[in-house]
Amino acid sequence: MIENFAMDVAQQAKLPGWRFGHLTARNLDAAHLVIEALLLDTNSGAYRIISAPLAEGSATYPSVTPLLPAAHHAERAAGDMFGIKAMGHPRWKSLLLHEAWPPELFPLAGASQVTVPRAPYRFLEVHGEGIHEIPVGPIHAGIIEPGHFRFSCLGEVITNVEIRLGYQHRGVEKRLSLAPWQQARFIAESASSDTAAGNALAHAVAIEQLLQLTAPPRAQALRTLALELERLANHVGDIGAICGDIGYSVGSSLFPPLRGAILALAQLLTGTRRQRYYILPGGVVRDLDETGRRAIKNGLAELAATLQKHIPLVLENHAVLERMVDVGRLSAELAADFGMVGPAARASGSGYDARRAFAHGCYPALSPTPARREGGDALARTQIRVDEIATSIAIVDGLLDALPDSLYRLDLPKCLPAAQVGVGIVEAWRGELIHWVTTNDAGEIARYAIKDPSFNNWTGLGIAVRGNLVADFPLCNKSFNLSYSGNDL
Amino acid sequence: MRNPFLALLSTGIITQKGLFPELPLDATGMPAVTDTPCTGCGRCAAVCPTLAITLGTDAQGSTVALDRGRCLGCQECVRACAHGVIIPDRTTRIATRTRAELVCTNRPNTAVPAPAKDGMFHRSIHIRVVSTGDNAADLELTACTNAIFDLARFGINIVASPRYADALLVTGPVGRAMREPLLRCYAAMAAPRLVIAVGTAAISGGLFAGDYSEANGVTDILPVAAFVPGDPPNPWGIIHGILLAMGHPAGCGL
Repeated sequence: MIENFAMDVAQQAKLPGWRFGHLTARNLDAAHLVIEALLLDTNSGAYRIISAPLAEGSATYPSVTPLLPAAHHAERAAGDMFGIKAMGHPRWKSLLLHEAWPPELFPLAGASQVTVPRAPYRFLEVHGEGIHEIPVGPIHAGIIEPGHFRFSCLGEVITNVEIRLGYQHRGVEKRLSLAPWQQARFIAESASSDTAAGNALAHAVAIEQLLQLTAPPRAQALRTLALELERLANHVGDIGAICGDIGYSVGSSLFPPLRGAILALAQLLTGTRRQRYYILPGGVVRDLDETGRRAIKNGLAELAATLQKHIPLVLENHAVLERMVDVGRLSAELAADFGMVGPAARASGSGYDARRAFAHGCYPALSPTPARREGGDALARTQIRVDEIATSIAIVDGLLDALPDSLYRLDLPKCLPAAQVGVGIVEAWRGELIHWVTTNDAGEIARYAIKDPSFNNWTGLGIAVRGNLVADFPLCNKSFNLSYSGNDL
Repeated sequence: MRNPFLALLSTGIITQKGLFPELPLDATGMPAVTDTPCTGCGRCAAVCPTLAITLGTDAQGSTVALDRGRCLGCQECVRACAHGVIIPDRTTRIATRTRAELVCTNRPNTAVPAPAKDGMFHRSIHIRVVSTGDNAADLELTACTNAIFDLARFGINIVASPRYADALLVTGPVGRAMREPLLRCYAAMAAPRLVIAVGTAAISGGLFAGDYSEANGVTDILPVAAFVPGDPPNPWGIIHGILLAMGHPAGCGL
């Protein structure tokens, strides 16, 4: 029942071991919708979907957010895409579609469905003596994705920042339900193309769950290699980028070439530096031969040795530590309330790592101990990456020694089953990534929802920068390193 | 603690000396079309996720035209072609000056390459980058600035404002919300100015072309001086595109 929906979702999410996964809507027919919440059991790796149809002729439902703040972006996104309003949402406004889009355009709404028109976007204003605003973006100074940051400052100190995204909106979710399902993987992978292995794996897991099949052991191992090499490359790159933002040119010149070395290993495995078009439902597109295996193994050993020499140059340098400690602190409570995931959450004391809970690649059988720090500041977020680099190197090295012997790709049936759900949950390099696929009675993809790890983490960044200097924003931002396209879809 | 300066020296020179090395054998690049007789079976076109392949017939038989401006480089067509008509291309000199040159066919190429010229930016160029939804291309562009590719050795600099930029480099498919910011950025640049489209999404919208987001790339919005296909392109491909736009001898083979 729609009246109890919010309470049911909040209760389930607050049970021990459970967490809120995602919330969105789905068309039943041209006029009717259900609102659906995905809840995850981190103990057993199971999930539960709570659905409630919207009342006849109504485009509103009681908001979940007052009970469960982690749902606040999801409800706003559903508002933009379906034209439905969460009544009682504390900060109701558009999330993805702003003035560039017609106010009556709701890309996923049914043809004869009732909608609530989008109101003009209003930024939160901070009032008081000496408060001034600094608008930044959408286009930023470097090679980085667009987004608008509206800072309210007292002198040099940020009192609030409102992060308005949506500039990268390309209609990913709608395209995923229009494309033939065999080709949906290309779009799924491009949801945030810097996380190609993560997105492709989440897609593959979701589709395989629909088809009720499991990829062969060798494919699972090769997928895990791709996922961990992606994590490794991006974490190493991030350390270089963080050094760049604090003006430590030793770090910013030493680490990017190391990322390049990891991308070369990824190219040996997958054929491309960015691991594109490699993982697909049923397995992977190509096998790894003995020469390739040995080359990756040797390259990795060399890399590990170099990292061991270079990382102390960052983490044992007092100038670097002083620059990062206490900057952009995010408390464990707020990180948990807003459903933060990945390294950013683990730097604020969270112990959640999807690799320990949900089936993807060789996980959760091969269950790494999650890195965990309590500091919640830019330093902790950097240290987490260093910890995870070590874990990933160990995982890749171990897997290369024990690659199972089996097929690497299965042939798939021609059709997806009718009216089924598949959910792929992957610990991508930025954290828990969810692909949630529902088919209709004809066996077509009726709804394809993606929750990028950045989706909730953007709120964390907004909170973490409060009370910090404007000049520290780039460091805070880089220490989170969130995806704009993954959020905007 | 180790001396950071010794650490910097210990890496030696890591910058790639040979320009535009071919891709290694186990790597996949863009597909190329050979003049091997095509049976017109149509398997390649059927598996292409971006409809980049058009089949036809002429007096000599079946024709196949592959538009790299729409091609992701996923290699599905290469795997589908049993006759060796479409093969992987190992070159990293993949950029072109005109949109028409991006179309590869199994007939002699009729697209006339724009004449290589000694452009006014051939010694140095300052580039403003605008990303519109392809962060893998952004990362490959960032890679171009590292010590391995060393973009700066060609006189190429990435700058933080359109006011002192000579070229606008666009990645991503330019969805509806980025159209106006992009046009404003271009308007803020002093003439003469160039536009470089990096990545298949920037050229044609790629996977995102059509439908409500109107993400059809930059080609129809601004005059593009160089096209770099691929999703994402290899860093050498990106450098090739910038050098072509500059009229730099290293890119144009002058």
